[in-house]
Amino acid sequence: MTALATLFAAALSCAPASHPIVTEVLYDATGDDTGHEYIELWNPDPATVSLHGLRIEAGDGGGPGRWTLRWTGGPADSLRPRSRFVIGGVNVSPRPDAVVSLELQNGPDAVRLVWPDGATEVVGWGVHDFAEYSCGEPAADVPSGFSLARIPDAAANGSNAADFRAAEPSPGSPNLRAVDAALLKGRSALEPERPEPGSPATLSLSLVNAGYTAWGLDDGALHVTSELLTAPVAIPTPPMAPGETLRVSVPLPALFEGRGALAIRVRLVGDETPGNDHDTLKVRCGPGPLTLTEIQFHPASGEGEWIEVRNRSGVPLALDAFRVGDRSGAAGRVDAGPPLAPESLAVLAQDPAAMLLARPALDPVRVRRVTPWAALNNADDATGVADQVVITESDGVPVERVAYSSAGLAAGVTLELNDGSWRPSAAPGGTPLAPPRVLPPAPGGFRAAPRRVSAAGETVNFAWELPWSNARVTLELYDLEGHRTRRLAGPVDSSARGERPVLLESLAPGIYLAVLRAESDEGSFTRVTPLRVEGGAR
Amino acid sequence: MSVAQIPVRLALTLMLLFAARPSRAQDFAGAGPRGPGGALELLEHALPAAQSSLTAAAATTRWWGMRELETRALALGAGWRTVLVAAGLSQTGAPELGWTTLALAAGGATRTAGAALRVATRQDRDVPWSATRALAPGMGVDLGAGAWLEPVAGWRVWASAPQVVAYGGTRPLERPLEVGVRAGRGTGGWCTLRAPRAHDDGERSLGVCVAVAPLAAWAEVRDGPLRGAAGVHAGAGPIALGVRVDAHPVLGETVRVELSWSSGRGSGP
Repeated sequence: MTALATLFAAALSCAPASHPIVTEVLYDATGDDTGHEYIELWNPDPATVSLHGLRIEAGDGGGPGRWTLRWTGGPADSLRPRSRFVIGGVNVSPRPDAVVSLELQNGPDAVRLVWPDGATEVVGWGVHDFAEYSCGEPAADVPSGFSLARIPDAAANGSNAADFRAAEPSPGSPNLRAVDAALLKGRSALEPERPEPGSPATLSLSLVNAGYTAWGLDDGALHVTSELLTAPVAIPTPPMAPGETLRVSVPLPALFEGRGALAIRVRLVGDETPGNDHDTLKVRCGPGPLTLTEIQFHPASGEGEWIEVRNRSGVPLALDAFRVGDRSGAAGRVDAGPPLAPESLAVLAQDPAAMLLARPALDPVRVRRVTPWAALNNADDATGVADQVVITESDGVPVERVAYSSAGLAAGVTLELNDGSWRPSAAPGGTPLAPPRVLPPAPGGFRAAPRRVSAAGETVNFAWELPWSNARVTLELYDLEGHRTRRLAGPVDSSARGERPVLLESLAPGIYLAVLRAESDEGSFTRVTPLRVEGGAR
Repeated sequence: MSVAQIPVRLALTLMLLFAARPSRAQDFAGAGPRGPGGALELLEHALPAAQSSLTAAAATTRWWGMRELETRALALGAGWRTVLVAAGLSQTGAPELGWTTLALAAGGATRTAGAALRVATRQDRDVPWSATRALAPGMGVDLGAGAWLEPVAGWRVWASAPQVVAYGGTRPLERPLEVGVRAGRGTGGWCTLRAPRAHDDGERSLGVCVAVAPLAAWAEVRDGPLRGAAGVHAGAGPIALGVRVDAHPVLGETVRVELSWSSGRGSGP
């Protein structure tokens, strides 16, 4: 480098010359930050540098002058030529050179190195109102789970925004390597999530070329090993350009039944960072120990949301070994209590006290609180799914995942697992701690009871029996001359037998015709039954 | 044209039209199209025929193909000069749902105008019928009126409010005020307009009839939902037979059959 170039670089640099520089900051780990935060320093010079007296301060961008000391270098702390020094929490892997709880904020905030000779370096992120918290334009805030990394490691472009960007955390390793294949942790998934024993499945994972050289088809391989596989599986890595991220599918042969882990590793010739080459996915093949049997996502009696599960494991189960949630994840812990006997039902509730108040006949031992309760959505999204109920074991192994639709369901009506299909419950408010209600046959395909009701308002129970296993059902009311008076219910999903109580009110006295209209892939079905509404003097 | 210039008969008809409340009736529905007619029309709509004579009619209706929802009606009518009276008895539905109706009607008619009053009382079929109970509390009682006039030869307008006053809870149908106009005495056409009810925006109908004595055939379309009716009428001396079929896209068909006798010339559809 010429003297002029050196001078030019020094003029652009946010870091003081001849001092180690900040190359990586992790301030927002996935989930709880505690013990995961770190700051990585890199010594670009050919001589060892002592860190004795170096102060690392955290800046709170909420106001001016809010710098607090986080770490001070001791006499034994030093940085060898072209090596790295990590100051971070106990959970950082590999273990940091100096273990300290940094408690960095998620932005707009900053870190500052203050050297014994008075030289300083500031790295700020987020949108700042005060210039002291960044060098030039602050770096962009990074998503949770990513680190703020100087890329390349010697970048000196005159501002934090130009030098730093989001990257996969790599404490103790170069931020930009010549050859580096990486697996994004926590992004691997199995499809189907819970395959049937003996059935094939597909593992998908996120593969990153984290180096600055491309690789070809024969340069590497992906390896999957597991106790659920008869033999390890390996496929060649696809060709990838520098910085590219690809979703790669790995076909897996028949899996054994049970729970286990898929150990995934990418092996690339000349890989400089083996620490990011692996990921682990906990999986289950076959049914889990608990079966989801009923979902109440829109309670109408003040009992709060709840789900019902059945112990299908054949042995008593401790329910506190499971987690419950929605499609954003299973984070709810189940209250401890006596083990659930084989084949017994339990209710996992948002508010057990309210549930027992609304249904005092329930066995309180089998009604357990889930904390926190993930509020289940009541309205379908564009894909026709309202939400998912997710149950896992406490270590993350999948147990159940059921997506449901709220279409056609009146408030208070639960969804029940009945003969292997999810159906609206035939009982008002559902059947917690009880099997689905078995409906009696409906002579003629459609009946109403009672058939004479008061105009002041009375509930009529409509029951039907269809010639198919399932259909979409609509109930309508016509007057004697054939004018449609109102829609009573639907369209709703129904199994072969269905029942729906409907409050008939605000009707003028007269003869009415209740009409059941059912549509299925196999045809349509219409049945009519008369009703009489009686009123008082007018 | 000012209000004072409106013919008195037309003004009376309009007053009746606007004074009438939504009404309910469907016990003596015959098999003919809309408009003034025989004894059944007098009992059902309070619309007297233009000629006075002795009449008798029997009708049966199977609503939407349901055996448990049938109406059977018998009516007798008599007239002297311009005065007409009629009495009828009908029974509707299975005992669990149905009722028995006794109705009386009286009115007057000339060749160009007519008006009548009707009264009907209903009693549930699941209690023994008794004439003494006909006006007892809890029975359904209707009082209605209707009128028609022929302002121009061959054009007839009418208004019918069969249940201007009603009390008791036994009623087959809520049926509001209906007005109609018909062109032609045999072959011709008509349209009707019925006032809205709580659950609809009224009803409109349009019909046409082709008559080649002694036969007549007619058809009618109605909205809400769109549906149709068709009928035939055949006369042989004092005896006439009419059949009417109403078709509905969801409920199926309602079939009505009417057999009538008249000492004078039959009014026809």
